[in-house]
Amino acid sequence: MFKELDPLLHSQLRLAVISILIGTEEADFVFIREKTNSTAGNLSVQIEKLREAGYISVEKSFRGRMPRTTCRITASGISAFEKYVDALSGYLNLK
Amino acid sequence: MTEKESLELIGQMISTAKNNLQKGTGKIFLLWGYLVAGISFATISMAKYMPMQNAHNAYYLWFLMFLGMPVHYWLIKKRENERLVMTYIEKLMRWVWIGFTVSILVVVVGMLLDTVILSYFASDMKGSHEFVRWFQWLLLTPFMLCLYGFALFVSGKAYGFKPLVIGGIICFFASFFLLFSIHKTGVVNVQQFVLGVSAVAGFVIPGHMLNRKEHKDV
Repeated sequence: MFKELDPLLHSQLRLAVISILIGTEEADFVFIREKTNSTAGNLSVQIEKLREAGYISVEKSFRGRMPRTTCRITASGISAFEKYVDALSGYLNLK
Repeated sequence: MTEKESLELIGQMISTAKNNLQKGTGKIFLLWGYLVAGISFATISMAKYMPMQNAHNAYYLWFLMFLGMPVHYWLIKKRENERLVMTYIEKLMRWVWIGFTVSILVVVVGMLLDTVILSYFASDMKGSHEFVRWFQWLLLTPFMLCLYGFALFVSGKAYGFKPLVIGGIICFFASFFLLFSIHKTGVVNVQQFVLGVSAVAGFVIPGHMLNRKEHKDV
């Protein structure tokens, strides 16, 4: 019996964001945008969805006069990611 | 998106944040490397040309180390402003270097206080007591070098940057050599020289290599 894939993570951009954050302590919005090759608008929307689900935390601050957005994965984000990878392994017969 | 594509995407994104040393780190290594090496060699030269009874005053040059602090703060601030990502290794190494700085300050400030207190309240110390008053300073350089070695070696291994590992090993050997030869006459000048050379090997050379690597990466 296959486990259901978390629909919130089973989307290209959101999965890319979570995958970047799982390997880092924190990442800047600009860094995520560059690495995912996404547009600022689309990325903002997807980040907001992940934040609403409690998977990531978003901190807005200023670097000099420039606004800065920093993202971090939360404990429930890590747990959701682990479950997602676990389910994915089932589909791909990796276990 | 298929399951296979998902897995590929995860692997690809996880590898984006490499554990490279943050841009601007080379300048921090150069600041302290040149400061320590410069003061070491200047101390040896000054002590050589000063009358014997005043030669110890050359060691006051080490107070110039405090000048590095505001510059260090400015360089760190600049580096952090440019930072776009922080990996777990970087976070850990940040605490290793903070621990290193605290260790150095604890030792130096503790020894300074002890010397100042002894100078004021026990200025009539003679013979073996007088020896005890100054002997601790002979241990400072080997102890510092051991701390340098620790921080450089761990950083080098964590970031996979060989020049730092080699610099750390040189500092370990230097520390061992100085502890081993602490009883020899003229060891103070030898300590200054070894400290200067170790600072070049552990901070100046890796600092320049990091700077060059940064320019290449850009």
